[in-house]
Amino acid sequence: MTAPTRPDQASPPAVNPRHRPSGAGIRRRRRVHRRDLLGALLSVPALALFAVFAIYPGLRVFYLSLFDYSLTAPPEFVGLDNFRFLATDPRFRETVLNSIFYTVGTYLPALVLALLLAIVLRRMTAGLGWVRLLYFLPVATSWVAIAVVWRLVLHPDGLLNQTLGLDVTWLSSSSSARWALVIMGVWKETGFFLILFLAGLARLPAEVHEAALVDGANAWQRFWRVTFPLLKPITAICTIIAVIRGFQSFSPQVVLTDGAFGTEVVNQFVYKTAFESARMGRASAVAVLMFALLIAVTMVQLRVFRREDS
Amino acid sequence: MKTTPVRRTARVGVQLLVAAGGVVFAAVLAYAFLSALKPGGEVLSVPLHWWPSSFEWHNFARPFTEAAFSRYYLNSVFVGVSVTLLNIVTCTLAGYSFSKFSYPGRNTAFVVVLATLMVPLEVIYVPLYALVFDLGWVNSFAGLIIPAGTSAFGIFLMRQSIDSVPDELLEAARLDGAGVVRTLLTIIGPLVRGPIAALALFIFLMNWDSHLWPLLVASDDEHRTLPVGLAAMQANNLGASSVPMMMAAAVLALLPTIVLFLSLQKRFVEGVAMSAGLR
Repeated sequence: MTAPTRPDQASPPAVNPRHRPSGAGIRRRRRVHRRDLLGALLSVPALALFAVFAIYPGLRVFYLSLFDYSLTAPPEFVGLDNFRFLATDPRFRETVLNSIFYTVGTYLPALVLALLLAIVLRRMTAGLGWVRLLYFLPVATSWVAIAVVWRLVLHPDGLLNQTLGLDVTWLSSSSSARWALVIMGVWKETGFFLILFLAGLARLPAEVHEAALVDGANAWQRFWRVTFPLLKPITAICTIIAVIRGFQSFSPQVVLTDGAFGTEVVNQFVYKTAFESARMGRASAVAVLMFALLIAVTMVQLRVFRREDS
Repeated sequence: MKTTPVRRTARVGVQLLVAAGGVVFAAVLAYAFLSALKPGGEVLSVPLHWWPSSFEWHNFARPFTEAAFSRYYLNSVFVGVSVTLLNIVTCTLAGYSFSKFSYPGRNTAFVVVLATLMVPLEVIYVPLYALVFDLGWVNSFAGLIIPAGTSAFGIFLMRQSIDSVPDELLEAARLDGAGVVRTLLTIIGPLVRGPIAALALFIFLMNWDSHLWPLLVASDDEHRTLPVGLAAMQANNLGASSVPMMMAAAVLALLPTIVLFLSLQKRFVEGVAMSAGLR
């Protein structure tokens, strides 16, 4: 450590103890302490940003959920009125159901597909290694830009209808708009979970698999009795992430349908409540409920997967 | 068990099926690119023609002449690069601090940082917006960049990586008279170049995709980033004649992250896998 020589520091400059044997022990302890203090200071920029832009708003969302607040006037305490309103608001209920539909409809097939693809892609014959890149590509796309592309794919005369010989008005009917979002969602999200499952499979010990081969287990048995149980932890993680991603969804609904035809999700409800109706308190109440839901889902899933483990 | 010919045939069949599925997945992107090159009347022709009858490269100029696309693009690049650099600095410093120094409250601070991973932006953005509003940062680059200036994932990644730098190396540097910062720059920095690259890639991709927050704090034309600008362009250009222009804009917006992915596949895949391993 270079000796600090700023004049405002009263303590003597720390010097390599080898050159100054007398009292080295004391100096050394002091110097270590000062070095650690400087080390602690290095975390300040990150911690300050967290405190101001994550922890403070994270606590304040609970506080604001009890107020009527329009940003320009001071908040007015209303107790649980915001939650009471939400409990009976049909539009809120509808957006919750839409979010559930989108989350289950998109992520259940995406997870199953990703797992099956991972099993095949893990042992791809030489020369077919590039195939996994094709599945990874959608992960590298941004939601808004790819949703613009999917507007054309889902157009009545677009790629999907023409390839499959269909005549569906994907984006302008309440019976199919929600499925349009699901189709795009599966395309976009499968690759993400494929990456996670491949990483999980790569960590499995190869001997287990080979032992099963020697025992004469067929591919189906090997999967259900050997691979899948070993993949439980990663499956649990993937399911939690899937629920979080599903309930956070916003961009595809904005670009594809603007929330029309039964596709408005919770996040759009929060956005419109806060910034179009200027009811920040009520929007905060929704955020609190969303947070509670995410925590609850995480706990339940971890418990379910753990119980099956034992 | 020996692999029988039947089984081998089945295996090859499954693999070919998966390969065909991959081609179908990628076809969406090819369709976007080819549609961007088609003459206006051809994009929605029945029956579908994959190949443009003539390559209208000038479609790629239309977003720039018919909308403020260059402004959106430059804003996205500027905000993305700024946020990435800021994250490299804050996460590396915090990771170094949490890894190689001991002081009271260190572990608590690290746990609190990790706990913020449980709280997505979608839960806190209402009060966050109110705060940024009070700071006077609405419609400013500060509002886009500073709240995104650090990340729990990044701090975790850098702490893990710096943990693997041997203490003896740092001790030697210290005895040579290197200070805390110089040790970081000359000893640790070169050893954790890989994780820093993974972090940079991860943050840049996330920021490039960011839509909700920029929509709130920077929806004026001066500060719009690509996702906000693109969504606005889409809402204003619903006609069939605008389709090639919108496809060109979308392809241009997709290009940087796809190029980054293709050139840094391994880091990209590692980054995705690591970000999940945290939960």
